This record gives sequence, C-alpha cells and structure tokens, in this order.
Amino acid sequence: MVLKLFKSMTGVSVLLFALLVPQVSPAQSSAPNTFPTSGSQASQNSPAAPSKQKPSPSSSSLPSAPQPAQSQQEPSLQDLGFGQSQMQANPALQARLNKRTEMLKIHQRLGIITLAPMVAALITGPTVKVKGKDGQILKVPSSTNLDFHAALGSATAALYFASAYYGELAPRIPGEKKRGAIRTHVALAFIHGPGMILTPILGALAFNQEQNGEKVHGIASAHGAVATVTALAYGASIVAVAWPIHLKFWEK
Amino acid sequence: MKYKIHAMAALWLAALPALGQNSSQWMLVQSALTYHVSSPVHQVNGASHEAKGKGVCQDGQCNFLVAAPVKSFDSGDSNRDLHMLEATRGAQDPMVVVRAKFSEAELQQSTIYADLEVQFAGQTQRYSHVAFQRQWQGNEMRITGSVPSTCSDFKFERPSFLGLLISNDIPVRVDATWKQM
Repeated sequence: MVLKLFKSMTGVSVLLFALLVPQVSPAQSSAPNTFPTSGSQASQNSPAAPSKQKPSPSSSSLPSAPQPAQSQQEPSLQDLGFGQSQMQANPALQARLNKRTEMLKIHQRLGIITLAPMVAALITGPTVKVKGKDGQILKVPSSTNLDFHAALGSATAALYFASAYYGELAPRIPGEKKRGAIRTHVALAFIHGPGMILTPILGALAFNQEQNGEKVHGIASAHGAVATVTALAYGASIVAVAWPIHLKFWEK
Repeated sequence: MKYKIHAMAALWLAALPALGQNSSQWMLVQSALTYHVSSPVHQVNGASHEAKGKGVCQDGQCNFLVAAPVKSFDSGDSNRDLHMLEATRGAQDPMVVVRAKFSEAELQQSTIYADLEVQFAGQTQRYSHVAFQRQWQGNEMRITGSVPSTCSDFKFERPSFLGLLISNDIPVRVDATWKQM
C-alpha cells in the first residue's frame, strides 16, 4: 500500500516538474534587452539607407568592461574564445601610441617645412659660381649669393635634424615589424641622412675655398652633387611614405 | 503501470518546449572585415581576417555576434596601422564588437536586413536596417554587406596627412562565411 502511494506521488511530482520547465524558458528569453529589434524602426527606414541611432552615452557595454546579463539566446563575447590578453585594455600602450603619434606629427611637419629651404638652397646653389667671359669663376654678387645660399643650407640642416630627432626618438611599439611604404621611407634615410651631414661639411669647405679666392677643388667640388642626391632621396622619402597617392580632390 | 504513464506524459511535456523552439546555431568559419579610408590623396583599405563570430537563432529571432581585435586590421603599412590603432584608441578598447539582430525568416531571403550594434573605440553605435546579401555555398552561408560607419559615430579625431583630413566616412565591408553547427 505504502509502495503504491509512493509510486503514485513520484509520478505526480515528475509531472509537476515537467509542467514547470516550460515556464522557465520564456522567463529566460524575456530578459531585459538593451538592443532594439528590427520592429518599428526597421519599417520606418528605406532598405537602401540604413539609419543610425545616437551613440549610447554609457560606456558600460565596452568590450573590456564586464558584460551585462544577456538572454540565453544572445551569444556573448566570452563564447568566441578570444584570449583575455586580447580583450584587456592596455592604457600604457595607448599612452605610448599617443606619444608616438604626437612626435611623428612633429616629425612630419618639420620634414615638410624642411623642403622649402632645401629647394631654395638647390636653386641658389648654382648662382654662387658664375663663369665669366674668360671662363673664370665669378662671384656675382659674390658675398650676397654665397651668404644667402649658406643661410638656406644651414636652415635646411637645422630643420632636418630637428625633424630627424622627433622621427628617431618617437617611442617604438613592442612587437612592431615594419611593413609597407614605411620601409622605403626608413631605407632612404640611409642616403639622405649621411647626405645631410656631408653636404654642409662639403659646403663649408667650398665656401672657404671661394673665400680664399680659390677655385673649388678636391672633395669640396662634390658639394653640389651630394646635395642633389640628398635632396632627391629626401623627396623620394616623402613620396614613399605617402604612397600610393590617388589624387581625388573632387571627393570629400 | 500508472507510474509508467505518468513518466511518459512527463517526458512528452518536457520535450514540447524544445520542439517549439526550433533553434539553430552558427559559427563564423571565414571572414574579411575591410575598412575603407579616403582622403584627397589617399584611398586605403585595411582588412582583418581574425574575426570570430557566433550566431543563435531561436524563437524566430537571430542574434549574431562578430568581434575582431582592432590591431588585427592590416592596411599593408605598419606605420599607418599603428596610427589607426592610436586614433581609434585601439589599445584602450582593443576589440570591435558587432551584434546583429534580424528575423529568422530573413535567413531564407537573399537580402537580410539587420539591426546592428557596434562597439568600437569606446563608443556604442547602432545602425538600423542594414542590408546584407546572403548566398549559400554548399552547407555554408556567405554574408556580404557594408556597415555605414563614420569617424564621428565613434568620436575619434579624423586623422590627416599632409594637412588633408580623411573623409568622415569609413565604411566597413563585411564578408563572412557561417556554418550551421
């Protein structure tokens, strides 16, 4: 008798449990949903023009922040199998990146400004030695042209080395492997870098020789050629970092 | 005998909700997320193939989640990629996360209109009714489309080059292949 009653009660309890199960499922799936569904908003917009809503001011749903409770049917970021290191914020690295960008922006600005005196020095370079009727080198007007060219050369060197300072001392990012146009930009520095050291030295030698009334001779006579190669490498370096260039001024 | 009947009834009742749910799960097997940046002198694409994703369709509603590390986007130039990482605060907020919602019935259509929630650069932006093309490739589903994102959506400063600002529009092309689990 007791056994029969026990069996009957067990059956009833199993039945009750089974009836309770379906009530649990909808409760879970109706969890608060922070993400609007495609209901009324979708019907208001044309398919060709997706509309945007105002960005959420809250930062609580950031990937690095703890995720809010989600309904069972919504996959979570943790389901995807990213490593914790990949998802974790790295303020130190962000600060380093900020510093790097800041320094490279100065490097870029100074580098572009350097172009002006460099081009001017290249233009004024040939005017400091003008051949007379008898083939002798004349200085027309000697000191003004020379001084102006020397001043342009000095300004170029000063700006160049200031730019190089910011480029070289910008923080390196751990694990950074140079790829693409930046490699050409850096490689060309091995030409215009020594060129920018050599050009003023040769220029000074040539200047002294001219001042002493001598015809420029020896290694100093390479001043113009070295300066030209340096300027070409420098220009190529700027183009390289900007490559590929697609001129589309008509596009905003 | 009575116990057996009760047990059978219980099993049937327990199975009923499962039969009604008709759920399916999807896993991202291959993807290319490509942003496009343009300026008067530049046209640049940066792609990531490191996205991971999962989709769940249940009760007529599909929820798909795709995420990729910001630093995985490769434009072919390490200097530009590092600058992108800086501009988008990619070290502070290292993941770009996209949540998509759409009706399960749309899986049968060639065009899926999804509502998107994009978390990027510390901001959350929603895009409604974004069209994606769906193609079947064997037992895999290929989804292609474009997310019409902009710099201002995510409140980051537009980078410039040679003093020329990039366009505010940075559409992200999505090409994702999903497999039903």
